[in-house]
Amino acid sequence: MAGVLRSDTGKGLILSAPATLYVGLLVAVPLCILVAYSFWTQTYVEIDRTLTWANYQEAFTDPLVRHLIIRSVAIAGAVTLATVCLAYPVAYFIAFRTKKKTLWLLLITIPFWSSYLLRVFSWKLILGFNGVMNSALISLGLIQEPLTFLLYNEFAVVLTLAHAWAPFAILPIYVSLQKIDRSLLEAATDLGCSKLERFVRVTLPLTVPGIIAACLIIFIPTVGDYVTPALVGGSQGKMVANLIQVQFGAANNWPLGATLSLLAMLSVACVAILFVVAVTALGRRIR
Amino acid sequence: MSEQIIIEIQGVEKRFGSFVAVSDLNLTLKEGEFFSLLGPSGCGKTTALRIIAGFQDHEEGEVRIDGRTMGEVPANKRPTNMVFQSYAIFPHLNVGDNVGFGLRKSKLSRKEIKDRVAEALEMVELGGLQDRKANELSGGQRQRVALARALVMRPKVLLLDEPLSALDKNLREAMQLEMRRLQQKLGITFVMVTHDQYEAMTMSDRIGVMFAGQLKQVDKPEVLYSQPCNREVASFIGGMNFLDAEVMAENSETLEVTVQGFGQMTIGVNPNVQVHDKELLVGVRPEQLEISAEKPEGYDACVQGEVSDVAFYGESVHYYVRIDGLPESIAVAVPNYFHTVDHSRGDTVWLGAQSASVIDLGKRETLGGDK
Repeated sequence: MAGVLRSDTGKGLILSAPATLYVGLLVAVPLCILVAYSFWTQTYVEIDRTLTWANYQEAFTDPLVRHLIIRSVAIAGAVTLATVCLAYPVAYFIAFRTKKKTLWLLLITIPFWSSYLLRVFSWKLILGFNGVMNSALISLGLIQEPLTFLLYNEFAVVLTLAHAWAPFAILPIYVSLQKIDRSLLEAATDLGCSKLERFVRVTLPLTVPGIIAACLIIFIPTVGDYVTPALVGGSQGKMVANLIQVQFGAANNWPLGATLSLLAMLSVACVAILFVVAVTALGRRIR
Repeated sequence: MSEQIIIEIQGVEKRFGSFVAVSDLNLTLKEGEFFSLLGPSGCGKTTALRIIAGFQDHEEGEVRIDGRTMGEVPANKRPTNMVFQSYAIFPHLNVGDNVGFGLRKSKLSRKEIKDRVAEALEMVELGGLQDRKANELSGGQRQRVALARALVMRPKVLLLDEPLSALDKNLREAMQLEMRRLQQKLGITFVMVTHDQYEAMTMSDRIGVMFAGQLKQVDKPEVLYSQPCNREVASFIGGMNFLDAEVMAENSETLEVTVQGFGQMTIGVNPNVQVHDKELLVGVRPEQLEISAEKPEGYDACVQGEVSDVAFYGESVHYYVRIDGLPESIAVAVPNYFHTVDHSRGDTVWLGAQSASVIDLGKRETLGGDK
């Protein structure tokens, strides 16, 4: 027994035990319960535990569900794209163009010192009918009537989420840029590359892992986000998580909610896997 | 080696703040020459190389390569290629794509690129390894890939930044000969930066010795060894016993000197030395001294002393001999002909010196003290 504890495998098991237990109890068990619920039926106050495919049939036939899942994936995709495109130059700046790296990294995390809800709400104040943006534009005389397309639509959701998730994209991309041996960049220049060619042929392929990490970190939680669409999304900005919330709340249909959750999870997993495979293959093609 | 001039550096100066990294660098290199910049770390040799490559700007002076002034020419447009100290192999590309990296920009067809890559890999004895991944290469192979990647561009000048310092001793010695052979075959000018005197001497046609940003002497290895221009250069290349001497009489070719410990001798004037004081510094190489138990015959100067230390190097034995009146022991290196160590610590021995092996090093100065 003592021998087992001293061996590397034994040490590894002991060290990973708390995490394994935690994940097991708080992820695997709830997930199993969720799967079980998706095959049950809600009868007003009780749950009918006879196994049935009815929830899945309903989810697949209801055009609203399909529409919301597609919209969620599309919005999350747009958020991911916008965030990574905005984050890359920032990460590049911190990694290559400044000596005050710590200061900049600290500045980037400052929005996190206030609550997420507060940050979403402040966007509402900025974009609203009588919000900061509209008042400013009116007082500048640029517009007569307040703009109504700013808030309560997909645009507002994408903007708010892109802002909220920016540091999560900047950090992994910064790390992968920081890791690049500077002599590789000089070697590319030495072999005749202009700055742009050097970026495309050396810097970008070497930061693919960072980009993938940033995309997954943003995309996966964003698909399931319901606070932001609820606050700034209006009716056209509603996402699948809002529907799920309704099932577990007002509609009081937990089995359907569980089914929708699983379907949302499944679509996220499929999109994420496809994305990783595609980007990795693309990165390999750059020579 | 032709007489055609390929690199001309005139009065180049590079300062980092108040620190002068390279000061008034003047250098002319001929086509097909193997030139080494030798010096201790921080002496400015790498900065000088990077100025030639275009990675480093400079405040004053001019660099001309192949007759063209390089002032505004960026690094990617210069007719030079570089082998980096870390080799800088692109980790996301395989060997073939690494070597072909620079060619993809050219107007060559895919087939031509493939052929040139294969040819370059043959040249560095890595034929057929095109598909090998970068992280599957050994240190020696990485060095060869870096060399092939630069040579495939057919540069006018190949710049090498400490190309062998990451390799172990045996591999390094083999690569020294191989790179020298390759350079002679291709006839490309090689400019190598190194802190290893043996590397510089075995590979180069000429060596430039740098100290504190200044190029002190540029010469063939054998001249650097026999006629170093001052104490710094003499101490950086090979071993050297330094002795104070006094000039009694001098003419254009010889100096009558009294050498501390050894007495009166007539030595040749070193043409590389600029200032001769009455107070002279002379040097004698450890391997050019005779050591024996009896007073040796036929030497211009002999002196008696006591062995203070013995160091066995395998191919030679070094004896350190204390002589009355000298501040430091004299080192004597004896080739190991017969597997014998003839003297031991505490023995009384005689040292013999020929005046031809005593080198005039000009005025006395403390190490690193001249500006």
